[in-house]
Formats: sequence, structure tokens, C-alpha cells
Amino acid sequence: MSKNIKKYWPLFVLPTFLAFIIGFILPFLIGIYLSFCEFTTVTDATFVGLTNYVKAFQDTIFQHSFWYTAAFALVSLIIINVVAFLFALALTQKLKGTNIFRTIFFMPNLIGGIVLGYIWQLIFSGILSQYSMAINLDSRLGFIGLVILVCWQQIGYMMIIYIAGLQSIPEDMMEAADIDGASSLQKLFKITIPMMMPSITICTFLSITNGFKLFDQNLALTAGEPGKMSEMMALNIFNTFYGRAGYEGVGQAKAVIFFVIVVGIGLIQLYFTNRKEVEQ
Amino acid sequence: MKKKLPMYLTTGILTFLALTWVFPVFVVLINSFKNKLYINAEPFKLPNADSFVGMENYAEAIDHYELLKALVITVFITVVSVAVILICTSMCAWFITRVKNKVTKAIYILCVFSMVVPFQMVMFTLSKIANILHLTTPWGIVIIYLGFGAGLAVFMFCGFVKSIPLEIEEAAMIDGCTPVQTFFKVVLPIMKPTYISVGILETMWIWNDFLLPYLVLDINKYKTLSIAIQYMKGSYGRVDMGAIMAALIIAVIPVIIFYLSCQKYIIKGVAAGAVKG
Amino acid sequence: MKKILGVLLSVLMLLALVGCTSSDGGNDAGNTTEATGTVYYLNFKPEADAQWQELAEIYTEETGVPVKVLTAASGQYETTLKSEMAKSEAPTLFQVNGPVGLASWKDYCYDLTGSKIAGELTSNDYALMDGDKMAGIGYVTETYGIIVNTKLLGEAGYTLEDITDFDSLKAVAEDITARSGELGFSAFTSAGMDGSSDWRFKTHLANLPIYYEYTDEGINDTDAIKGTYLDNYRAIWDLYINNSTTDPSQLSVKTADDAAADFVLGKAVFYQNGTWEYNNIADVGEENISMIPIYIGAEGEENQGLCTGTENYWCVNSKASEEDIQATLDFMYWCVTNETAVKGICGGEGALPSGEAGMGFNIPFKSNPESSNPLVNINADYEAAGKKSVTWNFTTMPSEEWKNGVGSALTVYAADQTDANWDAVVSAFVDGWASEKAATK
Repeated sequence: MSKNIKKYWPLFVLPTFLAFIIGFILPFLIGIYLSFCEFTTVTDATFVGLTNYVKAFQDTIFQHSFWYTAAFALVSLIIINVVAFLFALALTQKLKGTNIFRTIFFMPNLIGGIVLGYIWQLIFSGILSQYSMAINLDSRLGFIGLVILVCWQQIGYMMIIYIAGLQSIPEDMMEAADIDGASSLQKLFKITIPMMMPSITICTFLSITNGFKLFDQNLALTAGEPGKMSEMMALNIFNTFYGRAGYEGVGQAKAVIFFVIVVGIGLIQLYFTNRKEVEQ
Repeated sequence: MKKKLPMYLTTGILTFLALTWVFPVFVVLINSFKNKLYINAEPFKLPNADSFVGMENYAEAIDHYELLKALVITVFITVVSVAVILICTSMCAWFITRVKNKVTKAIYILCVFSMVVPFQMVMFTLSKIANILHLTTPWGIVIIYLGFGAGLAVFMFCGFVKSIPLEIEEAAMIDGCTPVQTFFKVVLPIMKPTYISVGILETMWIWNDFLLPYLVLDINKYKTLSIAIQYMKGSYGRVDMGAIMAALIIAVIPVIIFYLSCQKYIIKGVAAGAVKG
Repeated sequence: MKKILGVLLSVLMLLALVGCTSSDGGNDAGNTTEATGTVYYLNFKPEADAQWQELAEIYTEETGVPVKVLTAASGQYETTLKSEMAKSEAPTLFQVNGPVGLASWKDYCYDLTGSKIAGELTSNDYALMDGDKMAGIGYVTETYGIIVNTKLLGEAGYTLEDITDFDSLKAVAEDITARSGELGFSAFTSAGMDGSSDWRFKTHLANLPIYYEYTDEGINDTDAIKGTYLDNYRAIWDLYINNSTTDPSQLSVKTADDAAADFVLGKAVFYQNGTWEYNNIADVGEENISMIPIYIGAEGEENQGLCTGTENYWCVNSKASEEDIQATLDFMYWCVTNETAVKGICGGEGALPSGEAGMGFNIPFKSNPESSNPLVNINADYEAAGKKSVTWNFTTMPSEEWKNGVGSALTVYAADQTDANWDAVVSAFVDGWASEKAATK
């Protein structure tokens, strides 16, 4: 059968593959090459070796954005997953209106980052003005603001995944535990959480990569103010690229560093998921 | 009876939380009917006789900032891109799963790899390539979306194709179907749930995407909703808060309609997508 | 599911139709003019966007040469210019803000020496030179200062003559603040630090300490600013933010619209802005509007005039095709010689054929008419009275990065006016200057 299909490759594979070359492979390879070059457009690059990387690593704002991003990813990861898990637990009980709650909690997920940023900017400035403060005056406020925004956006998404996980736990397991006289807490820690580990792994890594890649919300909510102190990595790279002439190479080098970090997280994820699957 | 009380308590807490969840959108909604000078000053007050301006902000957003045009462009890009992605990548995924050789394996690995690459890595070169190839129109960007979105789609389709028993396809082939017929008559209907999952995920991504269209499209001519809104904030030397509020609502309404009408599929799609991803 | 699919498909087809028809229209326009070249103008001035679009249409109607005008978002000109220049259809006409902008773009500047438009300049001072090459031509001179609502000033019991230096300005402003409850207005409009308004302070106001330092040192650019007049900068900034309609902590969200509204609605007497702002505040009434110099308490400031200069130099893209360069030169010449165009560029209310207001510019070309913009005429009065205009030295500011750094620090300081926060402004100003000058070398 395989031979029979093979002849049809121009129809089946070619469109996607060509687009994939244009949309991913070429930009990726040229991107790596350009990170070693000085250039203003793709066509006028001159090779400069590691200079761009040296400049990128020496950039204190870039370092700051790394720690800011890492802290953000970690904090939002914890809050999002704990709250989403609690929501999922509550919504799998036999309550009235679970569907409505689920609908409402999930909704912000479909709203785009730019729109979200401006919606919350209005809310935060309304609240903070009563205390003579503003979101872009203090990077700590910006941090809290971004965490709230991202929680609001992503809790619903993770909740759906957790609900799916909870519903796949066999009923008889719970019943058996009831017969053995296990308390609710015991059931949670001894049965539910271990059974939910695949969902938990997925959700934690989804939220940590989302946290690292955050851009639209950052741009719309604080735009890095005050003085780039709330600038996350993705925005820092964008600003390096498009902010001033002559720094395109450094921007591309930062992008490569960023890519390595995100891939590193992805590899850790792969490692954990594989290990979990083996255990089961 | 003992068990009822915490149930009511949970419902109470959830109701409260649900209200706080809706609150931000509600605030934007009431502000969209207020005069722009009252918005920053007192965002939480309902419009009153002084501040109420009716649909003026909406008219301004639509007339001056061409929001309806942006809406049409966004719908166009999203619908066409998702349709193209679904058809092309499902065919590709079926092919590379059924035909096992070094090339198809390499394609699969590249697709998985592309899923983890952050957009910043390719943004500059991608926008340049798009420009050189004249892909800066709503038609052209479809190709970019197919290319950059292929990774996730191919990966998810491959996961599903692997679970389809070969016998069904073989039976079809023996009955005289060409591979093309087999794909469209046999494989495609079986994959319907995956089409929905992938379609939902790609729709959410493309509808809300900002940076890619911002860098790729000829933004003088074509602005998507996100770009139009970002432009309202940073452009023309003036910031019209009223029009921005109206624009935010215009951007949110289609999403809510889409969500409420396909809720079942969206929630299933997300759950299924996550388990595979 | 089938229904949904059906709907989606029909939407798709409809859109496809729309897409096809609109792209056909575009092609037609392109075909007729291929031979003659086209003009693509990347406009810097957001407030003049509508007017440029109209002039472009008129020009195309008259000559058949297509003119495309794109206006960059406020504060985004460099970014937009950079991304547009890298495209295959790059702008043929763009602008730089002076020597600093020229440094990044000199390779792209066509030599305008001997061009028809250069012959129209009233003085060669308005040409931006790169060695022997005429890289740019200033096309508008502008003036800024503190715009005054004289009617309100009168209600507070003062006249313009009462303000002659920083101390008297301060006395008047603080007196108005003390009595603002009874008067019903404040001294200053909000010093908004939103992106639409912050350039008034991080760039225009910051020009004054730089101007006085340059004057003292006898220089017109430097790699290391000393910040001799930064205490004065602080004094005037304090005056603006503590005597305004707005709580200083809320400045970061205040927009240009908010400040203009304060002024137009009679909530404030003083409004730091420039000649370009006239159309937005004309509602106050021509007889009630005046402009005074920005006094910062420097020595000899009784003789200080308004801040006058240009940061708008037209450059022609030397990498464009020959036809496009010629078409662009023709368009520029038309702009400063054609009656309709000059009227649209320099005129006020109803100066454009569509009935829209003109741009109200004062242009350094022979065709420049007497201005319909009262603020421009006020500047002429100051010059006639022998006051020394403050030059625009902010064109030597190292980069946008530098301005943004100063702007952020000013915003933070406004919310919490401590010495430590002011030190951050000084550091952004002085240290930032040195490092940005080095970085952009």
C-alpha cells in the first residue's frame, strides 16, 4: 500500500512542505546565520563572529528581563495550576450550574493578548488611581498585574484539561477507597493527584512555556515601563531588533539564546513525560 | 443535610468568582458608552447624563479607525488559514505516517521541533522572506500560517492517524480507490474529531495573533483587529479612549458568539489537544 | 456540524470574492503608471496624516502619478522606517530629525544639491548637510513654548506682562493653585506621560537645559552632557506637575487628548505645546490664545524667546529607482510651489479643497504665505522684539532610547518626588547620554 501512496507525494506533502520551508526552515537557518552577522536587512550581512553574543550577554537589561521572565513564569505557573486544579475539583462535584461556570471561566482564553492587555490596563488604572499609584510606575505592580492578567486568561484552559483528567479516573477506585474508609484528603493525595500526574505535567509545562513566550500582554499592559523594568524576554528581543538602528544582530543573538532556553525547558518536559509514561 | 452546606458554600464562592471573571469585560462595556474624557477619570462608574454618548464611540471606531474592515480581514485570514492548514497538514500527516522512509521521518521530527521554537527566533527573517516573496497580503499570510502552524497540526494529526487501523484503508484500496479517494472518503471522516481539535486550536491562535501579522502584512493596507487596536493606542498622536473601549468590545463580541455556539467542540478540542500535546 | 461547515464555506466564498475584486482594483491603478515612477511618502507627523492623504490624492488626480502616504505611529517613526526600508517597495520620501537621524540613514539619502526644491529654500540654513552633500531639506519650521489662555489668566488677576522669567511664572502658577477652588481652574494642563504626550517633556522641555549648556560651552553637540542646568529642569518640572489639573501619580495614563481637553474646556491656563497644536485648541478663541517662552530660571532669560527650529528634514531614498526618485522630486517641488498644496500645508480652517483644515505649517520656502496660524505670528512678534529664539538642540539627543529613559524616570519621579528618584532622572540624562552616544556610534 505504501508504494501505491508514494507516487502521490506532490499532492499530499508538497504544499505543506513548501510552506514549512518558507515559514519555518529558511527563516530559522538564516536566523542562526544572521546572529553571527552585522546587518540591517537580510541581504547586507557581514560576518562578525561572536560579537553579537558578547553584546547580548553584557546587556544588563537583557539579564534583568531573563530573571523577571523566569520569576513570572514560576509564579504564574504555581497560581494558575493550583487555582485551575481547585476549580476542576469543584466543577466535577455534583453542583448546579457547573456548565455555566465552566463556560465563564474558560471564556477569557479566547480573547487576544493585546485586547486583554488593554482591558486590564483600564481596570488596574481605575483601582490604583485611588491609591495614587499606576501600573507603569513600579515594576512590582507591573509584575502583579501581569500575573493577574495571565491567571485570568489561562486558568480556564488548564481547568478544562484537569476536568478531563478527573473524569477519566475510574469511579470504582473512589468507591473502593470509600469502602476502605479513606478521608477526602487521603483520597485527594493518594488517588486523585497520582492519577492526575499526566495532566499536571502537561499543564505545568504549558504554563511555563506560555510564561516564557509572553509578549502581547506584556506589550499592551506595561510596554516594559518603568524604564524597561517590566520588560520580559520576548519584548526585550523585539525592542532590540526594532528599537534602534545597528542592533539587529544583537537582537538575533538574543533570539537564539531565548530559543535555547525555551528548547531546554521543552527537553525537560519530554524527559518528565517519558518517565511518567514508563512508570504507568 | 450535613453534606449540603459545603455544596452551597462552593456554589456561592464559584458564583462570586464567576462574577469577578466577567467584571473586566463588563467594565469595558460600560465605558464604551462613555465620553472619552470620563473613562480614565472614573472607570467604574456607570454612564450618567454627562458622560453618556450612546453609540458615538462605536461610530468613531468604525469610521475613523476602520474597525469593520479590520474585522473582515481578521475573519478572512483566520477562516482561510485554518481551512488550508486543516486540509494540507492532514494530508501531509497521513502520508508521512503511512509512507515510512527517512524523508518522512525527518519531516515529522522537524515538525515536532518547530513546535518549541519561539516566534522571536524567526520573526525578522520570516518577515523579510515574506516581503521578498510578496506574501504581505491576507492571501499571502495564509502560506506563512500554513508553514509556521504546520508543526502542531502535523503532530496532532500523526498522533491520530497512527490509531486508525490499516485494514480499513487497505479494504478501500482493494475496492479500487486511489489514495486520494481513500483519503477523502475513508480517512477524513474518521478524523473528524481531530479536525475539530486542531481547527479550534489554530483558530484561537490565528484570530488573536498580533506579532506575526504585524510584521508580515502590509499594515498600511491590511490591519487585523489586534493591530488596529494597538495602533489606536500608539498612533496619530491622539489616544481616543472611547474608541478604544468600543474597539475592544467589537473585538470580543465575535469571540463570544463563536464560543457560545461551538462551546461543546471547543472544550472537547482543548482537552483532546492537550492530552496529545 | 454540516450547517456550521456550510456557513463557513459561504463566508469563505464571499470573502474570496471581496478579496478578488479589491485586488483587481489595485492592479488597474498600477498598470497605467508603471513607466512614470511612483512616490511613497513615510510621514512623520500623525496630526497631519489626513491632510497628506488628501494632497496625495489631489496630486495623483492632477498628474496621474500615484502617491502613497503612510504615517508612522507616534514615537514609532524609526521602527517603521527601518522595517519599511527593508521592503522591496521602500519609501521614496522619508524624513530624518537632524544630525543624529542622518547618521543612521546617510547611505540612503539622495544628494539634493541643485534640485528644484533646493532652489525654493529661503535660506540654506534649512538644508541638512552631510559633508558636501545636501542630504535633507527642512520643510517646516515650528515653534513651541507655553500656550496661555489669556482670558483665564485675566480672571486670575494677571496679564502676560506679569510673566517675564521663571520666578514670576512660578509665583503666578502657585497663586492660581492656591486659589484654584475659587477660580475653578488650575495653572497647568496635565503633563501626560502616555506615549501620545510624553515627548512634550522628555524631548521638548529637555531641550532647554541642553540649550543653555550648549550656549555656555559654545558647542552644538556633545558626546558627554554635563547636566549643568538639570536643577532648573527639576524646578520647571515640579512647577508643571504640582500645579496642574492632575494628581502627579496619574500622569502615566494621561494622554495628549486629556491635556488638550483641559485647555479647551478652560480647566487650565498654561499648556506647553507648539504651533502644530493650534487646530486642536482653536475653540478657545484666537483672541484668548497666546504663547510665552519656557522659563527655567537661567541667567539672562528675560531675553529668551520661543523655541524655534525644525526636526523635519525630507530625504529622498537614493536606493529607489531613477523614475521613482524623479517622481518624488517632482512631488516635493509641487508641494512647495503649487497653490493648492501650499495652501493645504500652510493654511488653517478650511484650507483644503475638501473643507478640512490645513496643516498650519510655517515652511522655509519662498512660497510661504503670511501664516493663518496665530501661534506662528506670535513667534514672529517675539523675534521682531529682539528676543533670542531657543534653537532645537534635541535633534542632537543620542537616541529614542535616551528619550524613553528620561521619560520613564520623569514619570516615576512625578509620582514620588524624592531626591533619590530625581537622581534617577539625572542618571538617565547624563550617564544615559554618554552610553547612548557610544552605543549609536
